[in-house]
Amino acid sequence: MFNAEKFIEEQIKKIRQDVKGKAIIAASGGVDSTVCAALVGTAIGERLLAIYVDTGFMRKGETESVDKMLRRLGVNHRVVDASDEYFDALKGVTEPEQKRKIIGEKFIRIFEREAKKFGAEFLVQGTIAPDWIESGGGLRDTIKSHHNVGGLPKDMNLKLVEPLRDLYKDEVRKVGRALKIEVAEKQPFPGPALAIRVMGEPTRESVAIIREACAIVEEEIEIAASKGKMKLPWQYFAVLLPVKSVGVQGDIRAYGLTIAVRAVDSVDAMTAVYSKIPHDVLETISCRITNEMKAKVNRVVYDVTNKPPATIEWE
Amino acid sequence: MFFDPNNTEKWNLDSAGDLYLSTIASIMRILVVDNGGQWTHREWRVLRDLNVESEIIPNSTPLESIKADGLVLSGGAPRVGLDSEKMGKCGEYIDKAGIPILGICAGHQFMAMHLGGQAAPSKTAEFGKMLVMVDDEDDLFKGLPDTFVAWESHNDEVTQLPPDFVALAHSDTCQIQAMKCSTRPLYGLQFHPEVEHTDSGYEMFQAFIDICAQNKKA
Repeated sequence: MFNAEKFIEEQIKKIRQDVKGKAIIAASGGVDSTVCAALVGTAIGERLLAIYVDTGFMRKGETESVDKMLRRLGVNHRVVDASDEYFDALKGVTEPEQKRKIIGEKFIRIFEREAKKFGAEFLVQGTIAPDWIESGGGLRDTIKSHHNVGGLPKDMNLKLVEPLRDLYKDEVRKVGRALKIEVAEKQPFPGPALAIRVMGEPTRESVAIIREACAIVEEEIEIAASKGKMKLPWQYFAVLLPVKSVGVQGDIRAYGLTIAVRAVDSVDAMTAVYSKIPHDVLETISCRITNEMKAKVNRVVYDVTNKPPATIEWE
Repeated sequence: MFFDPNNTEKWNLDSAGDLYLSTIASIMRILVVDNGGQWTHREWRVLRDLNVESEIIPNSTPLESIKADGLVLSGGAPRVGLDSEKMGKCGEYIDKAGIPILGICAGHQFMAMHLGGQAAPSKTAEFGKMLVMVDDEDDLFKGLPDTFVAWESHNDEVTQLPPDFVALAHSDTCQIQAMKCSTRPLYGLQFHPEVEHTDSGYEMFQAFIDICAQNKKA
């Protein structure tokens, strides 16, 4: 079985051997990159700088809370606000693979800038097994291009370090618990963030809608789980569909957008089953969304598809 | 601050590493041949979790470089009935490796075709949860329930067993979910024992490891 302590020992040794100069790490505040930052930070201390990029696609209150969390973690870090850059880059982009590739490339260019400022020769990423597996290559089909597997452009002098590449999320969590990291139990969140939870072009407006809906889904499910009404799912969120349908709100005809609620149970994200959320919880979520976002959304549906044939996220 | 970058001495332990190495001599070595599947790495993980020395090797690896007690031919993206040339040297491994081989999904379909059976597009594809019914417990399903939940992901299936092969299990929409050769230690599974959602997947892998161990002694 996977032994977290042994893994940590071996990795620290390896990182000290391989990373002789300064390094920056791409830190999103998620489980993988935070565990990775703690691991590499333990190995090389002050020679590591964590870079958190606010892409404009983050969840409600996320940038502030990640900033505070990285402070508590004790890793040197910088918050980079690049939201204008990202929204510009995704103007008119609707195709999911294109979104992912553009976002991945933007990340790399920002890391390149920050690495130069810090004098780093190494770029550390918290890439894990499903990321490179699903990104394909050779015989393996590309299910989706993960943002952290785009590869470094040839003209870049950074060397890539990915200590967690062979691990799955459940193993990363074990490492996180061994290192006493507070976000070890946090739900997975994709690198492209809310940009891939809007089906279609991620504009400031559509991203604002899905940001609200995701916050409502997260809040209500967490309340229900804390009351013992249901098990906390592996991953739970909302997706904005470009489908409009007729409704009636306050005796007036409505023609609004649709939100799909998605929640799955899984161990390693490679296979998953849709969560059997109690109906009253689904109803609370549905009512809150359509009441609070009435001008935009008048219908809520629940995704009842396993993985395979679907993936957990929609894009 | 929960960790102090200046106090990292407690991680400098070598004793755990030495103990680990000394037990390798008695460990089985079963390699995973990568046919481009999504769960190839999971196959490696299960073997590692069961204390087997394992590596993922490309399916173009020359037979001479393979030193192992058993092989797993992984699932893959190639539609085996249509582009079996993407299965690399799997045919050579089956013919000449002389060790037990477990084919999973594309690996299982290729094994059937290579040895004179048939694989073709399924009338009904199976993705995700399926109920599999055991027809013959044999050595792979020993001690397991007659019916279990298995996770599938296939567009094609074995439609005709090769000579000397018997079917061990079926589902409502797929007649041959498991097969074995009665004269040599060759096994095929249409479903994926390596994923978390397949019941008793680890037990099936352990059964294959035991088959490899027995073959090694013989």
